[in-house]
Amino acid sequence: MNAFEEAIVYLNDPFNWTRRDGILELLGEHLAISVVAVLAAFVIAFPIGVFLGASRRGGGSVVVVSNVSRAVPTLALLTLFAVSPIGFGNRATTIALTIFAIPPILANTYVGVRGVDADVREAARGVGMSRGQVIRRVDLPLAMPLIMTGLRTAAVQVVATASLAALVGGGGLGRMVRLGFGQQNYGLIIAGALLIALLAVLTELVLVLLTWAVTPGPKRFPWNPARRAAVAPGSEPTAAGMPL
Amino acid sequence: MSAGTGSVVGGAVLAVDEAPNPWIDPSYVVDNWDSILRYLGEHVRLTVGAVVLGALIALPLALLARRSRFLAGPVLAVSTIVYTIPSLAMFAFIFPFTGLSATTVLIGLVAYSLVILVRNFLTGLRGVPDDVREAARGMGYGSAALFWKIDLPLAMPAFITGLRIATVSTVALVTVGVLVGHGGLGQLILGGFNANFYRAEIVTGTVLCIVLALLADVLLVGAERLVTPWTRAGRA
Amino acid sequence: MRESSRQTRVAAQWHHGTQKAGRKDMRARIRFIAPAVLALALTTACGESGSSGTGGDEDSTAASGEACAPIAGDQLVVLDDDKALQNADNIIPAVNAQTASAQPALLPALNAVSAALTTDELVDLNAAVDVERQSAEDVAAGWVEENKVTDGLEQGSGPITVGAADFSEGIILANVYADVLNAAGFTATVAEPASRNLYLEALKAGQQIQVVPEYLATVTEFLEGNDETAVASGDVDETVAALEPLATAAGLVFGEPSEAADQNAFAVTQAFADELGVTTLSELADACGDGSLVLGGPPECPTRPFCQLGLEDTYGLKFASFTELDAGGPLTKAAIQQGEVSIGLVFSSDGALAKG
Repeated sequence: MNAFEEAIVYLNDPFNWTRRDGILELLGEHLAISVVAVLAAFVIAFPIGVFLGASRRGGGSVVVVSNVSRAVPTLALLTLFAVSPIGFGNRATTIALTIFAIPPILANTYVGVRGVDADVREAARGVGMSRGQVIRRVDLPLAMPLIMTGLRTAAVQVVATASLAALVGGGGLGRMVRLGFGQQNYGLIIAGALLIALLAVLTELVLVLLTWAVTPGPKRFPWNPARRAAVAPGSEPTAAGMPL
Repeated sequence: MSAGTGSVVGGAVLAVDEAPNPWIDPSYVVDNWDSILRYLGEHVRLTVGAVVLGALIALPLALLARRSRFLAGPVLAVSTIVYTIPSLAMFAFIFPFTGLSATTVLIGLVAYSLVILVRNFLTGLRGVPDDVREAARGMGYGSAALFWKIDLPLAMPAFITGLRIATVSTVALVTVGVLVGHGGLGQLILGGFNANFYRAEIVTGTVLCIVLALLADVLLVGAERLVTPWTRAGRA
Repeated sequence: MRESSRQTRVAAQWHHGTQKAGRKDMRARIRFIAPAVLALALTTACGESGSSGTGGDEDSTAASGEACAPIAGDQLVVLDDDKALQNADNIIPAVNAQTASAQPALLPALNAVSAALTTDELVDLNAAVDVERQSAEDVAAGWVEENKVTDGLEQGSGPITVGAADFSEGIILANVYADVLNAAGFTATVAEPASRNLYLEALKAGQQIQVVPEYLATVTEFLEGNDETAVASGDVDETVAALEPLATAAGLVFGEPSEAADQNAFAVTQAFADELGVTTLSELADACGDGSLVLGGPPECPTRPFCQLGLEDTYGLKFASFTELDAGGPLTKAAIQQGEVSIGLVFSSDGALAKG
């Protein structure tokens, strides 16, 4: 029986899902860490991005933050936290992941808000809207696609890198992979990898749907062919997107 | 000897945390220069290998995708999905086939850099103005000349952007190769963790990783300036 | 800045692309992902409980109390192995049989190490690496020189790779072997550290690894492979006798066992020991009948006779759960201290014991 077949057998057994330290428990842990990290990053990065974008300042530093964060391996930060007083529990993992989720949200929010056409903003001011109203009723809706892209990039990245926490004593689905290597249980390795990959892909899908729902403008359902001419590629990897 | 000696008498106390464990320790670097260089070498080899192989595969794919609308869709869709798969899972999937070797890490890294490069190469190729290509064809340029003299130079900025993103991402991704024992500088990071939380080792691995990534980025920017001198004129 | 404007321009291009490409990507994603998710969902969790052999058909391991839940603390204390579960885990050289017969100078050189090494010295070596942070290579070289192990050795030649277990003691011992072999005329190098499953396989094949420092009782049990029966014991000579046929069958040859030994030991926090008033493993078994003990150890512990299996069989200990950590390393000790596990596996030659 090869590794993939063993993995199916492992996943097929309900005991592996419901026991202590079983799949459901690890999945819950993984999701809890991810959700908290993304929300915390959003709360921190979104206001800064909006402010910088609306006032058209600080573009340079946003890019620098993006580039540097892409250059820092997540495993390194998780390990550094693990050997510092912060430790290697779920709280430490969440803090580390929050730090990594900030650059994509910050960069995309900044670019999105900043990219709003100056004419539209002027028209809004001309109509009598205050600065705050311009931001709320003009900038944000128009920037929404990019803001959601940033959120989506951050979410997938967090879900993916949360799997690394297990290598340095943390929790989450990565524990299955680590245990598999330790016990030479190839089925367990593949089962864990399958679940991690699936979770990341589902996160992406959920957020794509959310983006579609939240984006203003005429909504076309995905199964209706969009009759557009050239489809520009490169919609994915944004300023700080990395496959981690 | 008829009895095993060295059995532990109950009550022996383990003092766990006594010795100093500084974050920055030059003597660590000096003492372990050989192994640091060895891991650095592995890291560089894996990065360069992955990006070069990725570029070699991505360019034909991008050319194909530009030519055929039919192919462009699946190529981009598959690349999105591959991109979403977390690196730990990716290396774990490849492991049953190629085992605990650098090849496992290389295959995973090539997959990721391929995904990034195909998109950027395609953007670059599509960015070449059609009228320029028409004019060149009218002047009698064959396909090869068209590619080398028109497409490639004009698409170069986008190509290099893609190479920069791919390289910096790859440098960070190599560390996850610790899963199969070939993580380059990641071996220092995780190895330091396993060696009684050896902070100096972990910091050394981390700093070298960041420096390597930024250095590669700077080198590629320099390469771009060399290769596309005409883009320097006219920038705001 | 040029950089920022280009980044912004590129990002804006992507933005433009997002709206148009978003729908197309979404269709592609749904087309690819939905069937995969469906397929996976159909195969998950609809088999019989326990069908994967991880224990679903046994009695529920839920604890009926909280008496032995982990208690955090800074000091760790080793519980006495009063029923002598642990056996003669003396350091002994393991060599690929073909290489040993082709290189007659190999075993005498390694046996010189066995003759000179003591447990106290092993503890000091571990302390130098783990606590004082010297490099394993330096520490090994220092010991070899101090103990004049290389005097009067038979000379051999050729390349030899020494395998190493993936903890610092294993790496130190591998380096000691390599240094001595180099002095005996060979060109010896140390391989990348790995777990026993991996390096023993490589040793049997003989291409990647030809020599490995092993632990007498543990390797005997490992080669025997049957978790039900125990061939090793606390008696070194008996265990060596039991090892011989197993070694021949595996294509290996073992040298002389050293006086130095490193056995599994189990530690709890001082606070835990004081709270329950236990100093030995038997007392622990009496105090923890409600099965609320949480065990921590290396990932293979649940299947090893000198780890979880032995604790359950010899002492009748019942565990609520097992947490995979590392082999007596910093993760396990930190986990015990932090109250993640009640009791964890450490090693009897742990460097920290040098001070105790």
